[in-house]
Amino acid sequence: MDSGSAVQAVRADLFDPASLAALGRIEIVARWIVDGFMSGLHRSPRKGFSVEFAEYRPYQPGDDLRYIDWKIAARSDRWVVRQYEEETNLRASIVLDVSKSMAWSGAHLRDLGGGAEPIAPARLTKLAYAERLTAALALLLLRQRDAVGLVRFDARIRTAIPPRARTGQWRRVVAALEDPGSGLASSAPAALEQAARLINRRGMIVLLSDLLMDIPDVERAIRGLRSAGHDITVLHLMDPAERDLPTGGEAVFVDPESSLEIAASVADVRAAYRETVDEVIGEWRAMLSSIGAGYELIFTDSPFGVPLRHAFAARQALP
Amino acid sequence: MSLLAPLYLFLGAAAIVPLLIHLLRRRIGTRVDFPAARYLARAEQEHSRSLRLRNILLMLLRVAIIVFVATAAARPVARWAGAGHGPTALAIVLDNSLSTSAVVDGRPLIEQFRSAAREVLGQATASDRLWLVTADGRLRGGSASSLREELDRVEPLNGGGDMRAALARAAIVVRSAGLDSRQIALLTDGQRTAWSQSIDVGDVQVLTSLARGTPPPNRAVIAAMPRPERWTPRGAVVARLLSKDSTTYRITLAGRSLARGTAGPNDEIVIHAAPPERGWVAGTVELEPDELPGDNVRHFAVWIGAAPGVALSAAAGPFLRSGIDVLKSAGRITDGRDIAIVPADELSSLPALIVAPSDPVRIGAANRALERAGVPWRFGAGGPRHEESTVSAAPGVAASTRTSTATGGEGADSARGSAFTDVSATLRYELVSQPGVEADTLARVGREPWIVAGPRYVIVASPIDPAATTFPVRAAFVPWVAEMLTERLVGEPGGVVEAVPGRQLPRPRWADAIESASGVRAVLGDDLQVPPQAGAYFLDRAGRRVGALVANPDPAESMLERFGPDDLTRRITAQRVLNASDRAQFTRMAFRAAARRSVLEPLLAIALTLLLLEAVLVRVGHRTA
Repeated sequence: MDSGSAVQAVRADLFDPASLAALGRIEIVARWIVDGFMSGLHRSPRKGFSVEFAEYRPYQPGDDLRYIDWKIAARSDRWVVRQYEEETNLRASIVLDVSKSMAWSGAHLRDLGGGAEPIAPARLTKLAYAERLTAALALLLLRQRDAVGLVRFDARIRTAIPPRARTGQWRRVVAALEDPGSGLASSAPAALEQAARLINRRGMIVLLSDLLMDIPDVERAIRGLRSAGHDITVLHLMDPAERDLPTGGEAVFVDPESSLEIAASVADVRAAYRETVDEVIGEWRAMLSSIGAGYELIFTDSPFGVPLRHAFAARQALP
Repeated sequence: MSLLAPLYLFLGAAAIVPLLIHLLRRRIGTRVDFPAARYLARAEQEHSRSLRLRNILLMLLRVAIIVFVATAAARPVARWAGAGHGPTALAIVLDNSLSTSAVVDGRPLIEQFRSAAREVLGQATASDRLWLVTADGRLRGGSASSLREELDRVEPLNGGGDMRAALARAAIVVRSAGLDSRQIALLTDGQRTAWSQSIDVGDVQVLTSLARGTPPPNRAVIAAMPRPERWTPRGAVVARLLSKDSTTYRITLAGRSLARGTAGPNDEIVIHAAPPERGWVAGTVELEPDELPGDNVRHFAVWIGAAPGVALSAAAGPFLRSGIDVLKSAGRITDGRDIAIVPADELSSLPALIVAPSDPVRIGAANRALERAGVPWRFGAGGPRHEESTVSAAPGVAASTRTSTATGGEGADSARGSAFTDVSATLRYELVSQPGVEADTLARVGREPWIVAGPRYVIVASPIDPAATTFPVRAAFVPWVAEMLTERLVGEPGGVVEAVPGRQLPRPRWADAIESASGVRAVLGDDLQVPPQAGAYFLDRAGRRVGALVANPDPAESMLERFGPDDLTRRITAQRVLNASDRAQFTRMAFRAAARRSVLEPLLAIALTLLLLEAVLVRVGHRTA
């Protein structure tokens, strides 16, 4: 049994993200994640099948017998099922933050008290995690016959792929994820507006970011999108080390984007820091809730199935 | 508070480390990328006051911990409140001199001292070092229980003891214990005569408890002397009494009453007698018992014998003949052959009063006669010296062989001195001693002996003639001759040794054994240990009584005058002298007053508490995250 089979056997969407990512490239990992995720869903008449015929595909155990084309089976002794082109009524755009702050994981923290060993296990950077999540989410939505687009941004818009539901769209999205990014700052408002422009009509926007930006700016942008009828889901990516500050000792902590420098003794400020992080999370949650946007806090050590379930649930809530 | 290892205080300099860390923490060299630094900045901004307060508190705690540990390392000791006391070296100096046997408030003082000492010992712990020192200098060490038993055995001395020596000895032992807390607990009646001199006990604390109140009136016999020291057979007992009012007395000799009577205040009694006893006899002078019974009896000893028969040589000269006639008529001597008075060249036997020959040509014969008689002196071969020289009494030697350690010595010297006042010698021979001679020089000319005396002989270096010396024409001549004949030359060589009970003296060369009160004879070594009980103890030589040891209380102890606390404090130089006002305070202050307990444990406990507090403070900071 190869590693891929092993991953599928244990539901890749519930696998440790860092271990899973080490097994293959983004598109492979994304497929495993979506396959695992789909196998965990309850069967639904709406999922993947529509009234307009699209193509045939080989029968697979578990397929609904109603969709077997009995004529072909009688003529050629091949078992195929009919697939229908679902009417695409959702246009989704994934807005991905690729700023420099996203290219960080808690494994970068060493024990400031003098130890050389990392104080956190090997973990994906927030960006790597977000890219794999984006690929998986795009694939999932595309399998739903939704149109999926992608906007990558840092200080400026890096990539803008309009939402499409056609074959090959996912490969465009995956290819775009391999473009360089990690600019200095994050400019989410501009990216969100760009995503809205690409959607044309009301749709769904999923923002993947560490939200290390000013709340009022983002709030203004989201309010504008909401007023235009878009559904917004924010997946707040956070490394566990950013919440817990698990290191010890003293250091000058440098923000890689703004070059803000804070000298602190971790033991002294840890309590206050954690309190502040909780406050910030609460502020984001309250702000987004107040304007009808979804918000989920995602830690980068969570299996990909967790954020995927949140995003998919948001999609399912839509008509 | 004092420090046993003050150099360790330098460890306290380490307190600067947390201080520097606190002050220099903004100069941190380690830099790490941390995207959420904005949260950190906001946390510091929002919690700056509590963070600063916590940091300062942690800094102060760490500084305090280091300071406390450094101070503890310096081994501080201090007096501080709390139950019990630290390990203490305590010596109880108990005054058991004669004066402490005085009855005050129905109990002898020494009994009150014993009770106070027992109460002090009751506070002792196993870690204390304890001693009991009495006025006689005896030192007893051991546990509290063993010292309580020793206390029961302590009896009042018949003398004054030596409180200064006892205190000095106590100071030595408490210092040698190696403990930080050293104390001497002194129980004394403050007898003025016992504390006439100051004493320095060094770095030892002294806690005193003085007998309070007015000492009781005391009657005492402070002197009892036979005059002369050998009775032939007549003599007199001279006694001096100490009494503020009239008192009855009794004089005994050989166990029978010699006289009874009433004496006035501070009276001197002289009782003449010619008792029938012969040889060495003991006697007493007694008063009615009072609050201090130890000095109501005083002992004496006297040799009694018949008047000696004296054979006077015609060549001895007219002045000696006249003197002998006077003494014969007074009944002090008789004709006989007990003692010879002869020029040296006619000497044939001892005892003898030997004078220098008148004719220088007889010197050779004189020396040969001396040699035959076994006298270890010779006349010098240089012939007579014709020069007028002043004769003086030799210092430090009694007229007789009697040794006095308490009273009478100075009086005897002055009496002897008066015998040679205004005496000069114009013709004299040099007296040369032979090896191993044991003799007294009674008079000298310049540095040379003029009259010497040994066992059974007295030699005068000049003829007894006004042409040779002015001595025979002086009034003191006949009494001196009488003293030589009736005290020095009569009977066996020997004498009376007076001493305070308990003392140790060099053995008299004329005695080799001592008889106890019950008559048991003990051979003497190099020393003569005076028995602790007052009395007259006969001294023997070759099985015959040749003298007596008379042990009587120190008369100074009979004068019950006490020092006050301040007077006593001035006489004791110590690290600190504390005076307890009463027995309860004395008991309370013992151990506690000197017990400088180690502060090590409390300091370490505080440091540990602070360390726990610091850990809790840090831990709380971690957990609340």
